[in-house]
Amino acid sequence: MHAEDKVSETEMDRILSKHDDIVPSSGFTACVMEAVGREAVVLPPIPFPWKRALPVLALAAGALLAVLAVAVAVSVQLSRVSLGAHLPAASVAFAPLAPFFQHEIGTAAGWTALSLLVAFVSVKVSARLAGPGR
Amino acid sequence: MSANEDQAAVERVLAGDVSAFEDIVRRWQSPLINLAYRFCRDRGRAEEMSQEAFLRAYRGLGQWRKDAAFSTWLFALATNLYRSELRRIPARTVSIDDVREPVDARTSDGGLEEHDRDLAIRRAVFALPAKYREALILYYFHDMDVPAAAQSLGLPEGTFKARLFRAREILRGKLPQLLAVPRLKEA
Repeated sequence: MHAEDKVSETEMDRILSKHDDIVPSSGFTACVMEAVGREAVVLPPIPFPWKRALPVLALAAGALLAVLAVAVAVSVQLSRVSLGAHLPAASVAFAPLAPFFQHEIGTAAGWTALSLLVAFVSVKVSARLAGPGR
Repeated sequence: MSANEDQAAVERVLAGDVSAFEDIVRRWQSPLINLAYRFCRDRGRAEEMSQEAFLRAYRGLGQWRKDAAFSTWLFALATNLYRSELRRIPARTVSIDDVREPVDARTSDGGLEEHDRDLAIRRAVFALPAKYREALILYYFHDMDVPAAAQSLGLPEGTFKARLFRAREILRGKLPQLLAVPRLKEA
């Protein structure tokens, strides 16, 4: 950096360091505290009811896993049956469900009924959790 | 201004004593309003912006991690707000190309009195692109303390210094005659 630039920089610092400070108006603090007071009386947002929701969420996750397990077991069983192979123990457990999944109309109706049931339960649980009795 | 006083007031507010926030407002109103004023050069707007900054500070008081000074956190919050506000509704500025230059560059004082020259430089600062202007404003607000200014802007020190350097370069390029005046007078 040249000496000339240094001088310019110093001069610039001198000019820009000078500032005409302003004094807060007399009612400023009161105004802020009034706004803060209004803010304080506003109810905080309702926290999500994790304690109540967790069992339901766990149940839903379990149900989902069970459905997936059934679907996998049935598909494995069907493929084994079609190949004439022996069934594994897990597939045997779900063997009674196999006919249900073999019929397309029955399958569709079953899934629809299950979906409706899950939706109904979700709505009821949500209404209960968010209701005035919480 | 004691950091302990700030911390005590914050703890009282967080414990439910809203009136303790008044201590914080009283302690920091002047710096926050003046910082806002340097951004917008409008007294009324400066007070409005700093009121909003205090409200945001009140809402976010629980987010202050005590590893940094309360003032650092407060200035960063306020700076962030002021920058957003000025992006939303810019302050009345002039283009950097319209900044007044000396009437006759050959004269020793450039045709401007010292006061006019200072004013022209300040206007030139205001006409800088936002990122350079903000760097200059924060640098001089924090009494040329680079780490403090960089923290207020949420920038690494290196980036801040680069912006500061560029801002000065632009200013120097725009107003060489004005900056040469004192040296000629002092000589």
